[in-house]
Amino acid sequence: MSLEKKPGRRAFIRAAAAASLGGGVWLAATPSAETTVWQIDPSKCVQCGQCATNCVMNPSAVKCVHATRICGYCDLCSGFLQPGSPKLDTGAENELCPTAAIKRSFVEDPYFAYKIDEELCVGCAKCVKGCGKFGNGSLYLQIKRDLCQNCNECAIARQCPAQAIHRVPLSRAYFIKEAGAEENQAQ
Amino acid sequence: MNEPEKKVLPGWLWAVLALAVVAVVLFLFFTDRRPEPGPALRYDLSEYEAVDESLIRYAEMQRIPVALEAPCGLAVTADGRLVVVGDKVLLILDASGKELSRREWEFQPRCVAAAADGTIYLGVADGVAALPEPEGAPVFWEPLDEKSLLTSLAVNEQYVYAADAGNARVLQYDRSGRLLREFGGPNDRENTRRFIVPSPCFDIAFDSMGSLWIVNPGKLGIENYREDGSLLSAWYQPGMGLEGFAGCCNPAHIAFKSGNVLVTIEKGLNRVKTFAADRSFAGVVAAPEAIQAGWSDAADGHAPAPIRDLAVDGNDRILALHGPLQCILVFEALAPQKEME
Repeated sequence: MSLEKKPGRRAFIRAAAAASLGGGVWLAATPSAETTVWQIDPSKCVQCGQCATNCVMNPSAVKCVHATRICGYCDLCSGFLQPGSPKLDTGAENELCPTAAIKRSFVEDPYFAYKIDEELCVGCAKCVKGCGKFGNGSLYLQIKRDLCQNCNECAIARQCPAQAIHRVPLSRAYFIKEAGAEENQAQ
Repeated sequence: MNEPEKKVLPGWLWAVLALAVVAVVLFLFFTDRRPEPGPALRYDLSEYEAVDESLIRYAEMQRIPVALEAPCGLAVTADGRLVVVGDKVLLILDASGKELSRREWEFQPRCVAAAADGTIYLGVADGVAALPEPEGAPVFWEPLDEKSLLTSLAVNEQYVYAADAGNARVLQYDRSGRLLREFGGPNDRENTRRFIVPSPCFDIAFDSMGSLWIVNPGKLGIENYREDGSLLSAWYQPGMGLEGFAGCCNPAHIAFKSGNVLVTIEKGLNRVKTFAADRSFAGVVAAPEAIQAGWSDAADGHAPAPIRDLAVDGNDRILALHGPLQCILVFEALAPQKEME
């Protein structure tokens, strides 16, 4: 018969508390990896249109955004108007966007402001291509955080021919285009 | 009494059906069923990039290689030498392309002009620099403000003109570097918004009569000015067709041949065209197909226009500085008299 004393309940609770406290201190002291999210690097995007058709969300979580600081506020906006459009106005036959998601408003002669209606935008990048081709590239695509499901494997990243979609830290979830910036970093 | 026999499918058939179901599930799971974006979602300029061969009035005669990573400015001296700037370098070549001189500096010239007396003028980050001797030290003129971005220079016997895209103005200097006048921009009392410059495509040139022409890119045309800054005439030609200029910032570069024939290069639709002295369309120098041959910007959604500058030499050859190919494309007219008619 063994004479060893079995550990009592009180000792067990003490050990568990010490372990919990130690573990908590260790976790607090160890820097944890920040959550990352999917985002499109506009400097790599080639406006192929795959974002509109490959996202698991319908309509896509990819939307066009507008860097107004580098916009030319042009009357003949190649991101808003169809190539060869007969008139420079908001007639449906003149608009480039297939869902009329770009709203044009008069500022002062000869300047016009452009705003994206996110509800209507499907992320096809047609306007982005037009703006980059003739203009300053102030229109560009971004994955909207409130819409993206942050899938483990992003369906559009798999299809992207330019590998423009990759994970970025949540605290810098968007790429912001600034006037004069050679390379625009995630913000 | 015998019970009627139940009709049951044979086992092998069940197995085949199960296999078929598994195959369909696997097919749906592993294959990409999403459609390619349809025509409504594609930006297509092919209709405007196609050029009728009969309208091409020039032939590419030569490609002069330029030993620069990113060439950006081209000028022709009175004696026919070619001056090219880019990176932090100035290159002087003879008419056949042989390198005569190479200068390297700490600063980066963006544009260049050559005066009849041999002085070379450089547009740099904070203003104009004059180079009286090709091997001498550059003389920097009074610096401009931070917003300035010089994109083109033009020089005649009396004045040096500098196009400042950052402030949408043209600066008029005397040959010693004294600022005389500003056309457009914040200090133009008559019209601060004379020029609409949405992007850094803002060119100036003298025609064969020595008159100054300034591109007004936002209005898709060119304007002719007197020395005192007053407007003489203007010609705007918006449109996607060959006779017009498309987008927000065209023509991107201009030059003049003898007989006041205007040569233009566009951004977006990469084509070189000529217009007669009355500004009627004269013909195509190079179609997009020719400019885009030998390189591709498909991997770069925001690549700058490939033709970085334009000049005409004393023999009326058209010289186009091609950035991605790092060379000067030399074009000669097939029937020179046609565009004079």
